[in-house]
Amino acid sequence: MDVAMLLTAELAMLGHAAAAIVLGWLYFGRFALARPPIGIFSLADVGFLLGGIVVVPMLYLVLPLWLVAGLLALGALSTLQLAGEPLLPGHQALWAGVLGFGVAEIVAFLMAGPLSAPFFLVNNVLVVMVAVAIANLWAQSGMKARDAAVLGAALTIYDFVATARLALMGDLFTRVAELPFSPLVAWPAGPDGRWLGLGLGDLLLATVFPLVLRKAYGRPAGLAALALGLSAVVGVVALAHLTAISIFPVMVALGPLMVLQYICWTRLRGPERTTWQYRQADASRQHQVSLTVV
Amino acid sequence: MLAESFAQIRFAISLIFGVPFDAGSLERLAEALRQTRHEFGAIEPEAAELLAGPSLDEVTRRDVQLRRFRAQAVRGARETAYYGRLFAQLGLDPSRLRYEEIARIPPTPKEAVREQPDDFVRRAAQPALRTVTTGTTGLPTAICFSREEIRSYVALGAISLQAGGLVDSADVVQISTSARATLGNTCFAGACELAGALVHPAGLVSAEHTLGLLTQRRRLAGKRGQVSVLSTYPSHLGEIVELGLRQGLRPADFGLRRIFVGGELVTEGVTARARRLFGDVQIFEGYGMTETWPLAGLHCPDGHLHFEPSQALVEVLDLEAGAPAGPGQAGTIVATPFPPYRQTTILLRYDTRDVVRALPEPPACALRHRPATGVLQGKLSLSARHDEGWTFPRQVLEALEALDEVPLPARCGFWAVPGGVVVEVVTRHGDQPAARRAIERALGERGVPVCVLRLVSDRSSLTRPLPLRGDLREATFGPSVDGVSPERAAPPRDAATMDLTPDPLSGAERART
Repeated sequence: MDVAMLLTAELAMLGHAAAAIVLGWLYFGRFALARPPIGIFSLADVGFLLGGIVVVPMLYLVLPLWLVAGLLALGALSTLQLAGEPLLPGHQALWAGVLGFGVAEIVAFLMAGPLSAPFFLVNNVLVVMVAVAIANLWAQSGMKARDAAVLGAALTIYDFVATARLALMGDLFTRVAELPFSPLVAWPAGPDGRWLGLGLGDLLLATVFPLVLRKAYGRPAGLAALALGLSAVVGVVALAHLTAISIFPVMVALGPLMVLQYICWTRLRGPERTTWQYRQADASRQHQVSLTVV
Repeated sequence: MLAESFAQIRFAISLIFGVPFDAGSLERLAEALRQTRHEFGAIEPEAAELLAGPSLDEVTRRDVQLRRFRAQAVRGARETAYYGRLFAQLGLDPSRLRYEEIARIPPTPKEAVREQPDDFVRRAAQPALRTVTTGTTGLPTAICFSREEIRSYVALGAISLQAGGLVDSADVVQISTSARATLGNTCFAGACELAGALVHPAGLVSAEHTLGLLTQRRRLAGKRGQVSVLSTYPSHLGEIVELGLRQGLRPADFGLRRIFVGGELVTEGVTARARRLFGDVQIFEGYGMTETWPLAGLHCPDGHLHFEPSQALVEVLDLEAGAPAGPGQAGTIVATPFPPYRQTTILLRYDTRDVVRALPEPPACALRHRPATGVLQGKLSLSARHDEGWTFPRQVLEALEALDEVPLPARCGFWAVPGGVVVEVVTRHGDQPAARRAIERALGERGVPVCVLRLVSDRSSLTRPLPLRGDLREATFGPSVDGVSPERAAPPRDAATMDLTPDPLSGAERART
């Protein structure tokens, strides 16, 4: 085992997780995504999402690889386009950027190979941005902390079953890791083609929960969730390192933390705030800060 | 969000292909709008645009309207007794109807619907509500609707109110209309409830009682402290305004934000005097009638009455020959409500007897993509044909209600005599020279050829008074309804109650009259 490579891979995982969570937080405070004008992210959407989470991996296992790669590319690039709208005012520049990313991904895949560091680097940046975009879309569409906690609880069970009890996740990761636009951040962990990876789903949940708690109960709640989410990822990586587990259901650590935080904040603060109440409070806080500065 | 997306697709399918609405999908959209407003504090204009659908150019509009007319005519011919007979007599195949041939179908007169209402109900329909008009111009007319239709109208109303930002969940809505106006009341109350508002169907009680309810303080969590939205008839509004101004009430005594008025002509005078009492409230004048429901006319700032082309075909036929009215000419509105809006009672080219003027030139306003007429002039049966032409109720009412000499609502009558019209009107102080001069001048400015002007101080002295819906008064038990006495209600400026002049007619006495 190449310890230096493994440590580098672990640090890369933690760095990408931290980047997604922190960038998600910063994006939430600065940019407004174009959300659907009618409706909010509700418990029914959580239900749809869980249905998709159960069905889509199975589809990815049976569909031809070119089709899986195409679907992944479509999903990733359209999400990127959505997230880029508030950042790049001109449509042409935005589309050029999105297509540029797509081309870079494919070039890295073709030139450097699917399990190479250059390909992982490009794909990781893309996955981090996708996680930031989806997390913000959910949170800015009015996702409640309650619904995020329900999602976290359901995924804990699913992840435990699909990853630890069944070979589903292992098979899926093995199949998609060698595709462009694969939905995971990964890094080479050994000279024999081994790699270390963290799924987009885990990254997404770790990114979205601080945002919904910030909206629901304020910045301290959000920052606490941010710190706890990162700690959970550090814990999982450390555990995997010490016990040499080949695949670990990350949601088993993240999910219960989400539920516990939700229960604590509900007990402490009562009903959660709406987006409108959050914005009012945030505007008032920023006004106070500017007065203090003056 | 996904469920709402499916509901929007289902709504779009109905609008594009004319298939019946799915009431559940519409209710989901209405609920989604309420949740969106609750979560984000406002509904973005994109939501209204999304639900309104695309604006149609003239060619597409005609094409859409012809297809909808054909579909409705086919259903009428096959499934209703009246149109089955009519198409057989005309020898017309409704499925091959061309746009130009629509005029060959004679307008359906009000009398036919009034006498044989069941002949217009589709055999395959499932009527659940038989609602009648208030019958201000004669015997009431009965129209049947299915449960799905009513649910859809309620949900469409809620969508419209919320997308337009007209009613929200904090509103306290008071409906001061006749309890017999079941269709309008059911739809408006249901729509407001679906929007999350608190609805108080107060009924058409005395002006004192209505005023007392408007000034009453409420203490319900999440709701505004006073009635914030009022729906009533212009004549009842006039009574409230008259009484409130006489009592010395001021805008600070009320919490009204919006007033919906309809069922009668709304004059500039009533609007201006209402603002004197209530302050800068928004006043919305709507046009709709039981027979053509849910066709709704929308007023624009340029003084046009616009109609949504996908809801109905609206024609203006001149008063003499029944041909299409020329530019600027007066005519009656002849309407054909379309699917998917109308499923149970089929009416083709229904002559509403509501007079409007065809626009002298195409509209250039923001709603120009919707067909339009001029504002309502009143019922044809209440208009007067004389040597000079026609005098319509709007001309007389606009002239009278603009004058402080005439108490609101203007109680008046007019009819044709050789050389013009006789006008009789109740004034504050009877036949005073100053009032006479002002009224003569105002009527003259409105083009009313007055031959005889009778000024009286008592409404019982009128010989042919125009009917007012505000007089469809409901009796109430004393001494108190909702904590507000019908005879002694309302507020000192900073409290919940104040003394009001007793109603000259008690509830029981009024019921006898």
